[in-house]
Amino acid sequence: MTGEEPLIPPEVAARVGTVVARRTGVVDTKEFQRWAASVRDRNPLYFDPEYARAHGYDDVVAPPMFLQHVTLGVADLDELRPDGSAGTGSGNLTFPRCPRRMAGGEDTTFFAPVYGGDVITSERRIHSIEEKRGRSGRFVLVTWKTTYTNQRDEVVAESTTSMIARP
Amino acid sequence: MPDRQLYYEDVEVGQAIPTLVTSVDPVQMFFFSAATYNGHRIHYDRAWATEVEGYPDIVVQGPLQAALLARAVTEWIGGAGRLVRFAVQNRASCFPGEELHFGGTVTGKREADGAALVDLEIRGAKADGQLLMPGTAVVALPRRGDG
Repeated sequence: MTGEEPLIPPEVAARVGTVVARRTGVVDTKEFQRWAASVRDRNPLYFDPEYARAHGYDDVVAPPMFLQHVTLGVADLDELRPDGSAGTGSGNLTFPRCPRRMAGGEDTTFFAPVYGGDVITSERRIHSIEEKRGRSGRFVLVTWKTTYTNQRDEVVAESTTSMIARP
Repeated sequence: MPDRQLYYEDVEVGQAIPTLVTSVDPVQMFFFSAATYNGHRIHYDRAWATEVEGYPDIVVQGPLQAALLARAVTEWIGGAGRLVRFAVQNRASCFPGEELHFGGTVTGKREADGAALVDLEIRGAKADGQLLMPGTAVVALPRRGDG
């Protein structure tokens, strides 16, 4: 009957509601331009200051989907999971019975533009950890809520993200 | 770059946004992992992806799928449009060399707090129709005669 043992360790379940990461990062124009280039997204809002100003911005603006990467930390290569991923931004939640992890989804609302030099603080909280059963069997669904704030304490975005871990 | 701005008045419910047709190769995946500081082996270590995790090849990053889908939306709305909300689910994996389609359909129009908003159903899919990433988005568009 080992198949029906809970997939979520009690010590992990106890962390629902807690803040797992509060981090600050400075937006770097070259970093967001490299990100956009890697998506082959040559939107002039991200590259051409004159174009961006003509469209109501102060300068080239960061691609909205880049924001989630601004506050990533510095990985200690000796602390990575065996699959090479770093768990530091999501609370290092471990599910020994569910080693296969993949992104579940994201839902982000953007409130204000983000520019090079902005100092972004992200605060991520565990919203829920649930065991589910789908077509391919049991899995764990973890949901986080993240708030992104700039140096003027303006909330620039709010995001709900989720991760699926499977046996 | 020619700049054909989309206006709120130009949009009708049921209208499709232009589909971005593309494929991803390992070089693009490498640059995207570098740009997002992503060390997850399934995106570059083929032996790990296939032998340990059972995938047929290295796996295209979910955030890259999302970024391509967002690109399809932001290219459609032009420089004066604004992405307000973007929500997607990762439904399936895709692999280098596969033809991918990113697009969407207008599901609603509304004016709220002085903004002209358009609701979209969006999707990333493989060429054979397999759904990779369904979702919804909200964009703000300029009105003709604004500013």
